[in-house]
Amino acid sequence: MKKTKPPRQKSKRTKSEGGAGAKVYIVGESPMVEEYAELCATKGYSVQVQWNQEPTRKPVFQSSHITCSSAIPTTSALALELTNTDLVRKRQNLDRLDRALPSTAAILSSSVTVTATEQSGWIKQKHRLVGFGVLPTLVLKPLVEVAPTVFSPAETLNVVQRFFHSVGKEMALVQDRVGMVLPRILCQIINEAAFALQEEVASPQDIDTAMKLGTNHPFGPIEWADRIGMGQVNAVLTALQNDLQEDRYRISPLLRHMAQTGEWWKRTTYFIRKD
Amino acid sequence: MIKHLGIIGAGTMGAGIAQAAALSKVEVVLYDINDTILRQALERVKTDFKKGVEKGKLTSEQTTEAFGRIHPRTRLADLSHSDIVIEAVIEDLRIKKDLFKHLEADTRPTTILASNTSSLSITAIASAARYPERFVGMHFFNPVQRMKLVEIVLGQRTSPETAQRAIDCARQLGKTTVVAKDTPGFIVNRVARPFYGEALRLLDENVASVEEIDRIVRIEGGFAMGPFELMDLIGLDVNLAVTQSIHEQFFGEPRYRPHSIQKKMVESGMLGRKAGQGFYKYEKKG
Repeated sequence: MKKTKPPRQKSKRTKSEGGAGAKVYIVGESPMVEEYAELCATKGYSVQVQWNQEPTRKPVFQSSHITCSSAIPTTSALALELTNTDLVRKRQNLDRLDRALPSTAAILSSSVTVTATEQSGWIKQKHRLVGFGVLPTLVLKPLVEVAPTVFSPAETLNVVQRFFHSVGKEMALVQDRVGMVLPRILCQIINEAAFALQEEVASPQDIDTAMKLGTNHPFGPIEWADRIGMGQVNAVLTALQNDLQEDRYRISPLLRHMAQTGEWWKRTTYFIRKD
Repeated sequence: MIKHLGIIGAGTMGAGIAQAAALSKVEVVLYDINDTILRQALERVKTDFKKGVEKGKLTSEQTTEAFGRIHPRTRLADLSHSDIVIEAVIEDLRIKKDLFKHLEADTRPTTILASNTSSLSITAIASAARYPERFVGMHFFNPVQRMKLVEIVLGQRTSPETAQRAIDCARQLGKTTVVAKDTPGFIVNRVARPFYGEALRLLDENVASVEEIDRIVRIEGGFAMGPFELMDLIGLDVNLAVTQSIHEQFFGEPRYRPHSIQKKMVESGMLGRKAGQGFYKYEKKG
């Protein structure tokens, strides 16, 4: 049997133009800020970063083109807002960006836990905001989900497209919806695994092994949760629950508990406590 | 160490398990009521062995020896010397219960009785048995030759010794084991539900197209296949049946609710690759 449609699209790492010294301002949560900063810097951008909360262990950047500063450069043509969990802070960040940046500058804002459309209502210059999908570790992948709003003109989209092209990512345009595509699927798998864990159906190790060997997932759900961070997963699931108002998006109490208690749940430590 | 393995049902799964066991130097009695099905199963094993030799993965001595270890039988009593019997017949609780009742009478009291069920409760299958503690689930995955995983499913009354012997048996067959409580869908079929369920809802809500969702999941997520490609491969009917079964067993828990898109496609005969059309169109080679 041969599949005729669609032609299997290999991830095309098109030759990127690079940033050529252009300025990018990145604000939001760790580790997404660091991840995007490194990506942009290696592609030739001059990057300025600002965290909502300084990471406990300050990252050592590989590139010298990254500086930490709260002052928003007025010459920056592009800013990234990478906050998924603290939406009050996200709103403040966007407001600051909107006031400081020239009106031609675009804002790419994570729209995983709140739609880009809702975010554009928080700022005066709605046209400049485009949503995109950000979760920890996904920055390494050569594809990004992008959600324009009804206010996004072609000019803004062109800026966005040029940017992602320059950092070697192809875009997948999706409807502006909470959870987007991959975060929604992934976090629901993690949620289901947390329910199974809570009911002691199997150990975390066995759940991961089963999903990798039984259905060829690249990581087990507990490993995914480790990579993404349970706080982020919880934020996505909470957003889905609020948006869709369905029982199917009920969050596993264990998962919520893990998100609230911070670090101890990490797979490795969970085993120690469990055994 | 398992020396004699009994397998009931010479369908795809039964034959696959027989093949894996024979290659691991275990003597296999492959039982089926239907002589024709037995012969077809042996043919399939032979063909698969031949392919293995052609690809250089197996030697012809290995396959000849292994083939000689598979003994086709049509009498249940021929399984009496087995250390362990794995049942891989149709997913029907009544048939399985009945079968094990006969089997208990025909085998030694130390024989482990295992079911390869993917959707029925081990506890329920063992309920009619005189010795429910020697019942266990051994859920192999299709194709058995390639899939490394076996879920060892503990029924309510499965003894730890039985579980350990099932684990040892699976390992002897070169498999990796995980242990699961007897709950609907065990681990894999349950935790994989959202992969399909959310994808179908994303499609229904028009968040992205079939092709785009698959592309995103593959490239951004690093999955080998997108949810729609995978549903096409598994078969829409099989996928829907698994979802329905888990949904019913959890008394209608909304997380497992099937989607109308699946049902409509099954009704229309768009079952995936095997039908030439599912979420994608397929044409036969040549």
